[in-house]
Amino acid sequence: MDGKLDQWKKLANSEVKRMGKTVDDLVSKTLEGIDIKSLYTAEDTKNLETIDSLPGISPFVRGPKATMYTARPWTIRQYAGFSTAKESNAFYRKNLAAGQKGLSVAFDLATHRGYDSDNPRVEGDVGKAGVAVDSVEDMKVLFDQIPLDQMSVSMTMNGAVIPVLAFYIVAAEEQGVAQQLLTGTIQNDILKEYLCRNTYIYPPKPSMRIISDIIEYCSNNMPRYNTISISGYHMGEAGANCVQQVAFTIADGIEYIKAAINAGLNIDDFAPRLSFFFGIGMNLFMNVAMLRAARYLWSDAVEQLGGNEQSKALRTHCQTSGWSLTEQDPYNNIIRTTIEALSATLGGTQSLHTNAFDEALGLPTEFSARIARNTQIILQEESEICNTVDPLAGSYYVEALTDTIVKEARKIIEQIDKAGGMAKAIELGIPKRMIEEAAAETQSLIDQGKRVIVGVNKYTLQKEEAVNVLEIDNQAVLEEQIASLHKLKLTRNSVKVEETLAKIRVVAKEGGNLLAAAIDAARVRATLGEISEAMEDVFGRYLVPGHCVTGVISREYHNSEKGASEFDEVKQLVDDYANNEGTRRNCQAGRRK
Amino acid sequence: MINSMSADKIVAEILNGNRAILARAMTIIESTHPKHHKLAGEILDKVMPLVGKAKRIGITGVPGAGKSTLLEALGMYLINSGLKVAIIAIDPSSSISGGSILADKTRMTTLLREYNAFIRPVPSAGHLGGTSRRTRELTFLLDAAGFDVVFIETVGVGQSEVEVADLVDFFCLVQIAGAGDELQGIKKGIMEVADVIIINKCDDDNKMMTEIAKNVLKNALHILKPKYKEWQTQALTCSARDNTGIENIWDVVEMFYATMEPNGKVASIRKGQNIRWMKQQIEENVINMIYNTQDIKELYSKAKASVESNKLSPRNAVETVSQYIAEKLTYDVLK
Repeated sequence: MDGKLDQWKKLANSEVKRMGKTVDDLVSKTLEGIDIKSLYTAEDTKNLETIDSLPGISPFVRGPKATMYTARPWTIRQYAGFSTAKESNAFYRKNLAAGQKGLSVAFDLATHRGYDSDNPRVEGDVGKAGVAVDSVEDMKVLFDQIPLDQMSVSMTMNGAVIPVLAFYIVAAEEQGVAQQLLTGTIQNDILKEYLCRNTYIYPPKPSMRIISDIIEYCSNNMPRYNTISISGYHMGEAGANCVQQVAFTIADGIEYIKAAINAGLNIDDFAPRLSFFFGIGMNLFMNVAMLRAARYLWSDAVEQLGGNEQSKALRTHCQTSGWSLTEQDPYNNIIRTTIEALSATLGGTQSLHTNAFDEALGLPTEFSARIARNTQIILQEESEICNTVDPLAGSYYVEALTDTIVKEARKIIEQIDKAGGMAKAIELGIPKRMIEEAAAETQSLIDQGKRVIVGVNKYTLQKEEAVNVLEIDNQAVLEEQIASLHKLKLTRNSVKVEETLAKIRVVAKEGGNLLAAAIDAARVRATLGEISEAMEDVFGRYLVPGHCVTGVISREYHNSEKGASEFDEVKQLVDDYANNEGTRRNCQAGRRK
Repeated sequence: MINSMSADKIVAEILNGNRAILARAMTIIESTHPKHHKLAGEILDKVMPLVGKAKRIGITGVPGAGKSTLLEALGMYLINSGLKVAIIAIDPSSSISGGSILADKTRMTTLLREYNAFIRPVPSAGHLGGTSRRTRELTFLLDAAGFDVVFIETVGVGQSEVEVADLVDFFCLVQIAGAGDELQGIKKGIMEVADVIIINKCDDDNKMMTEIAKNVLKNALHILKPKYKEWQTQALTCSARDNTGIENIWDVVEMFYATMEPNGKVASIRKGQNIRWMKQQIEENVINMIYNTQDIKELYSKAKASVESNKLSPRNAVETVSQYIAEKLTYDVLK
């Protein structure tokens, strides 16, 4: 082999000689800071800790199930929701009829932050980025004619998780479906909210208690329900690279397990109900390796925490990256999403959301949603990638990359462990700073044209074509929501509502299960805002302190002489401006209405 | 846009509560470019008769002492008592890029949403003299605009706090306990100019340390020569994070004004500051003028070269240049 490799090296060098390069110059650096060689061989897979395992058996590198897609392909689960519950319900039913297998509910921002639609603070947000849900009545409409004992429903909810889960349980109950039969997932991952997604409500401590309460309630009453979807997706969207995404997500998971154990639960009673959620970007093989590495690291971590085989298997949902979509020349997004979907499925995801090509512009239209869904259907039914498990296993490159990600991510996880765990690390601002630095670094590479985005910094169009986007008539939604809230408050038994809200305050203060208390309140038609406020009275509302990351752009530009001179040019322009205007302030700022 | 407005119109809009015009007028006043000087001067002349109602409070402390958090808590307390509050936050500019992050505005998120609060970050832009000139004038503008309290916040580095003390009626030094440097302020001369020393972060788990620090400070304060014979510098504790002790701080401020105002002391402090500042400015300008005169410039650089090459002793160089300036001045005056 050595002799052959030398021969290859000689040949390779002679091929690039004309460009004035050697084969060593072909080594490229990824955003993760990993050096990628131009050739991987059997040498690179010797002595890897992550190689040579089988699917369905720990450490699960090749997948959490023995048969993977060969028995049943991944679940096509499109995240959607907008306007009123009625509109979203109609949209869901149409999609289910067209071949979608699971539901994934997007709530509007007001609901996420625990405000009713009639709260003056949220006027502009009602029904905008998701569906508005104010009470159990809205939740019933949302799932009208959708049998909740058969449909697995994923709900992206973290801040107002108590009232939303309570509404879901009561809506099912009134549909005639018992709690034990509910399947699906609630995101319920508060740590990453403080880190990047920002729809938290309460301070970290009571928020972690809420999670323990939910895990406890569900392990006793909803055995098939996934109580947390530990999410790296939003970190990826905020700029985290693959190594960071895996490391922080696994560290979050460790923190949740520890919290539940501290609350007196047995790890194997709840760990199998924890699921994951990763974001898949454009680096095809890196993202495949990321999913494989995540399964290895989780298996390892859960084993150390004393979990059994079932607890150690990482099951995940994936979504193609929204960050990688462009407003410019948006049809290119179809191709990007296809590549990312391929990456997620070659990586062995259990379910997948593919973004619609117009999501950098607005909400998906019926047309763009169809293309997005069909991207997955074509992968499943035409491309024949489902015929064998983990087809990239044994690839020198992918196996070596998997191992490298494991080792790099482990360094970060150890660093977090030293800081006292993820909750503490977040409080100290460690992961946020790392992600923000990575984001600034990527942006400066794009600005310098070192990272190509077709249609944005290369091959740009002279004239952009107008694309139809879905417009939500926010005013109409707002009026409808306010009217039904008004009606609800007139017809319910307000004495009972007050009683159940008072009970929530007591439970929040003195202990007991908050979800159980909220279910009682939901039954008598307490609203989302009221239930959230009752807890806020005890817990308070939290605000993450802000920090500034500086110096990253400057550092990136100074990596090359061309960059450095560009940077100096900009500095000179600013100085000229200051000399001409007598200030560095933009005198025109604030002029826009 | 503001450049096409008359000073009369600008001042009328400011008095009318137009915050956008107020902000732009501040930019005009801050400008170092001569093209803005005329308008800036006119605006200032017009507001001067209206100046004098606002309390001017300085706040300084080392980075991390919690100044922004304290200002946020104190500001909200005042707003809830029905007052209008303005904050001038002096941010150090980066010596490398020349830029300033002006992050204080992002750190006071509750105040930021209040209609009765106005936060203005001001870059220190390297040299402090310019900052204090601009800050003084911005204070006048905010005072005339009807703000009841104007805070000036600075990071405590070196001389700056002493200069800021000369911009305000009342000067707060914010410290934290436990860093073992309770008395460092003495060295830097900050404690001599402080009217109150606030030990922040008197949080639940830190109470003991702050109480000890307070006592150390109290003892030290008795040794120092008081700034005014009417006012003994106080030491207080608070937790800006937990919003405790904030009321006490304002009580002390009120007490200061109640003690000083009746005998005209506040007015005389302000008068003294204005006169000192005017004198300083004249001196600065005159010196600049002298150094910029062609023949003196030449003589100076000649003397400098001679001293550098050891042809002339510094003492004789001083003599020669001073002699020349003195003769020239006499000659010009006589002429």
